[in-house]
Amino acid sequence: MNWGLFWDLTVSGVTLGSVYALIALGYSMVYGILKLLNFAHGDVYMIGAFVGYFALQGLGGALHPSAAAWIVVTLMFIAGMLGGGMLGVVIERFAYRPLRNAPRIAPLISALGVSFFLQNSALLLFGASFRDYGTFDLIGAKTYHFGNVYLSVPQVLTIVSSLALMVVLTVLVARTRIGKAMRATSFDREAASMMGIDVDRVIASTFFIGSALAGAAGVMFGLVFGQIYHFMGFLAGLKGFTAAVIGGIGSIPGAMLGGLLVGLAESYATGYLPQGSTFQNLYVFALLILIILIRPSGILGKADVKKV
Amino acid sequence: MADEPGASPMDAPDQPRIGVDEWVASVEGKREGYEGLTGRLQRMWDTLPVGGRLLVFAVPAAIFPLVTTEGNVFRYGLITLIYALLALGLNVVVGFAGLLDLGYIAFFGFGAYMYGILASGHSGHHWPAEFAIPVVILAGAALGLLLGLPSRRLLGDYLAIVTLFFGQAFVVFVNNANRINFPFVGHVDLTGGANGLDNIDPLDLFGWKVTSTREYYFFTLGAFVLVMMLLYFVNESRTGRAWRALREDPLAAEVMSMPVNRLKLLAFVFGAATAAFAGTIYGAVQTGAFPGDFDVGLLITIYAIVILGGAGSLAGIVVGAIVVNGVPELLRDPNQAEWVFYVAVAVVLFARLRPWPRLAGVVAGTIGLGFALHAIADAAWPRLTDGKSGGEGALAHAVESWVLLPSRPTQIANFAFVILIGALLALTLLKDVWRTVALVPTVYLAVFVWENLLIQQTAGATRFILLGALLVVLMNARPQGLFGTARVEIV
Amino acid sequence: MAKLLELRGVDKSFGGLTVISELDLHVNEGEIVSVIGPNGAGKTTLFNLITGVYRPDGGDILLGDESLLGLEPHEVTNRGVARTFQTLRLFLNMTVRENVMAVQYGKTRATVVESMFRLPRARREEQEIRRRAEEKLGFFGQRLVGYRWDQPAYSLSYANRRRLEIARAMATEPRILLLDEPAAGMNPAETHEITQLIGKLREDGGYTILVIEHDMHVVEGISDRVIALDHGVKIAEGSFDAVATDPRVVEAYLGLRKAETK
Repeated sequence: MNWGLFWDLTVSGVTLGSVYALIALGYSMVYGILKLLNFAHGDVYMIGAFVGYFALQGLGGALHPSAAAWIVVTLMFIAGMLGGGMLGVVIERFAYRPLRNAPRIAPLISALGVSFFLQNSALLLFGASFRDYGTFDLIGAKTYHFGNVYLSVPQVLTIVSSLALMVVLTVLVARTRIGKAMRATSFDREAASMMGIDVDRVIASTFFIGSALAGAAGVMFGLVFGQIYHFMGFLAGLKGFTAAVIGGIGSIPGAMLGGLLVGLAESYATGYLPQGSTFQNLYVFALLILIILIRPSGILGKADVKKV
Repeated sequence: MADEPGASPMDAPDQPRIGVDEWVASVEGKREGYEGLTGRLQRMWDTLPVGGRLLVFAVPAAIFPLVTTEGNVFRYGLITLIYALLALGLNVVVGFAGLLDLGYIAFFGFGAYMYGILASGHSGHHWPAEFAIPVVILAGAALGLLLGLPSRRLLGDYLAIVTLFFGQAFVVFVNNANRINFPFVGHVDLTGGANGLDNIDPLDLFGWKVTSTREYYFFTLGAFVLVMMLLYFVNESRTGRAWRALREDPLAAEVMSMPVNRLKLLAFVFGAATAAFAGTIYGAVQTGAFPGDFDVGLLITIYAIVILGGAGSLAGIVVGAIVVNGVPELLRDPNQAEWVFYVAVAVVLFARLRPWPRLAGVVAGTIGLGFALHAIADAAWPRLTDGKSGGEGALAHAVESWVLLPSRPTQIANFAFVILIGALLALTLLKDVWRTVALVPTVYLAVFVWENLLIQQTAGATRFILLGALLVVLMNARPQGLFGTARVEIV
Repeated sequence: MAKLLELRGVDKSFGGLTVISELDLHVNEGEIVSVIGPNGAGKTTLFNLITGVYRPDGGDILLGDESLLGLEPHEVTNRGVARTFQTLRLFLNMTVRENVMAVQYGKTRATVVESMFRLPRARREEQEIRRRAEEKLGFFGQRLVGYRWDQPAYSLSYANRRRLEIARAMATEPRILLLDEPAAGMNPAETHEITQLIGKLREDGGYTILVIEHDMHVVEGISDRVIALDHGVKIAEGSFDAVATDPRVVEAYLGLRKAETK
């Protein structure tokens, strides 16, 4: 066995998985609270990547940054997260909130419309060409290695910062007032509102947090893979959602686990399976079907009880 | 979750309460209340028997080829019909059974490719259509079954994501299926890969070779009318009633003897078969099947047709197809595009703004604001007015005197686009007078963005931006579409 | 009399909360049995267990000699169990007639292809469905008269919706009707009418009926036998007078402490 290849695939799988996990978290949180598949989530991720890109340009570009690299990167993350988060709140307010009591399919179609609107607005505004983050110019091409395992700086950055974000999120949901309100709302919206929880605000916060994570994921993707474009949200959203389903939709640790699994599956498929680099997405699709067949509620999900 | 007796879906105390007598009266009153020309049309439509309704569409559609000789218009009519046929199938899945099938276009593509494999110079087989069409339809249904069957869970929310992924997987597959090595058979070029499957035979139906656009038009019209009739019969049968019942309340339907999962699967398979049939015609018309034809753009187009027409309404489909497929066609010509935009703005303002002095005020205010800004810009920053409208014709000429047209509009127009979206969203939050006042700069901004940005991309991004926005606006403002009847929901 | 419906030691709990515990219950052919009990006693859960919406954790449910365990709700209905819902779950946007026609799905056999081409069997069945729907609606006489049949169900008044729910349940041709609080939310006149209607359902329709009801006048008026539940346990059974005066029932309803009632 070629261990060098294995470790390379593992590292890139974990990196990709971290990005998917962050996207999956947003999907999962929104689904948990509204039972809504937010198709526009992938496009929020795309917009986050572009906001990060423009923040970089605003700070002088990758070649001549106006501050130290780590400050620039931090500011890019903040910009991407704020941009994504605010976009998420706006989408919720105008495209989903009016439909909260409509039949199930109405907000789904609305979400489809939002997704398409964002994709093509990005095409209109940013053009069809790829934009380059210029990570090497900004951060340098330094790599760390532990034995056979080679990690580039952006990869380390991605893995570490997504881990950090997940820890923050877990604490936020478990410990804070807003986290408790979120859990209550996702359990029973009506009861929560009767107990004095401002449900609208809780849902808006959920969208903000979930979308901010997607924005961060967008910036990470830009840093690791260099290039971003208007259609990148479609597939990433699909994978993020797959990750959420595999992990168990509505479950936060499930989303993380699912993200890692999808990232690794995709990476290993590229390396080991026949025509993997062409059909990697087909392999992920097969994985999704497989999980739905053997464990419909996902790995960490709970089967729900229907109310009559 | 107990429903209060007679509670209204909204908590507003001034709402009439459902089921209470005054509410019953108001429902009955609504029918009488149709006013003016639209009211008379509505009543006529209501009394028309079903066959008559079908004729209202079929007769003009049949005459259409006789009055036009222009090849392009003809072809456009044909594509519209194919889309309408496609929408009929989706209507069963979404409108009747309430399933969100986002892989629908893949079944359409499957039909085109499958027919191409059965009858084309590419594959070397040349099946006559009377055999090929049933085989394609059955294969499409089988594929739908295969996708829908694996799990009961799939028929809930997961269906949307699995089908969306399936649509993507289909495109990846046909793009690369030209170099798969099959066990036993060896290398087979199934789909022609990225270049597409070319040389598809024209439909050969019992010796009648359908070749010209005109013949295809009539063939498709016939197919459309036939499918519509069959669907109507299904709709009026035990299966159709069960579909509608499970859309209303799946649990009650299940407890009332209807096997909900099997019925959903049936609707899904039904849609897949219809899409495969439409795909066959499409493949024959194009004499080829190309991976790029079956992308998300087409999916959104077909959804927009179904939603605009009113999910569940068969008549709405036709009008939806004409509008959704027709308007972008008009947008292709910059001269027509100008008219489309200003007429659309005028219609929206006319429909939403009453009384008319208010309307006149907004229009005058917008143009006045334009002249003022134009004059100021002319004096201070002449570069802001040096540019040209992206449109052509008299209208484009007319706006040059009051719309700012910068010589290099890209960046400023991009910002204006983002601000415009914000302004339109904010407008929905404003009330009464404030809304009218805010309308003036918003309309002006819209005109500015249109002239400087949107009109340049009418064939691509603009069209899809408008479709996306259409879906969101319709879902929020008029979920029943143009022709559906407003539904009562108790949550 | 033969037992038509029988529950043997049925258990059901949700995540540690026991809702029904070791419940034995039977309904004889042609009998009207009422189930009473305070809110949360497990009455509606009982209906959900019988109709297959929930699976019991233990015990057995029999219709005649056949076990209903493991059947999907629509299969249970096809065996001859029909119910109404306390919260009213009509197909609101379908017409009154269509509501009653739709539920005959399980009684008919025409396939989609037959319906699509209007083949003989489909046409024959369609006429039969229509006839049966009108027959069931006709049962309600002046209350659901013909001109309402083509109106959407949402345009009905509250009391008429209750009647339509019963008509819909009848149209599945059940052997036993389960009525979940048929008089809830009705005024005294309507309640009186419902009481008579339930009697008429047995006399003219020949149905066996299991009914959940809060209104003691209704229970008194219709019941051959009354069963009282509290916290998922049967606390009393017998004639209305016996159950209504049973100290445990009084306690369950009024929440008095044992010492005071004894």
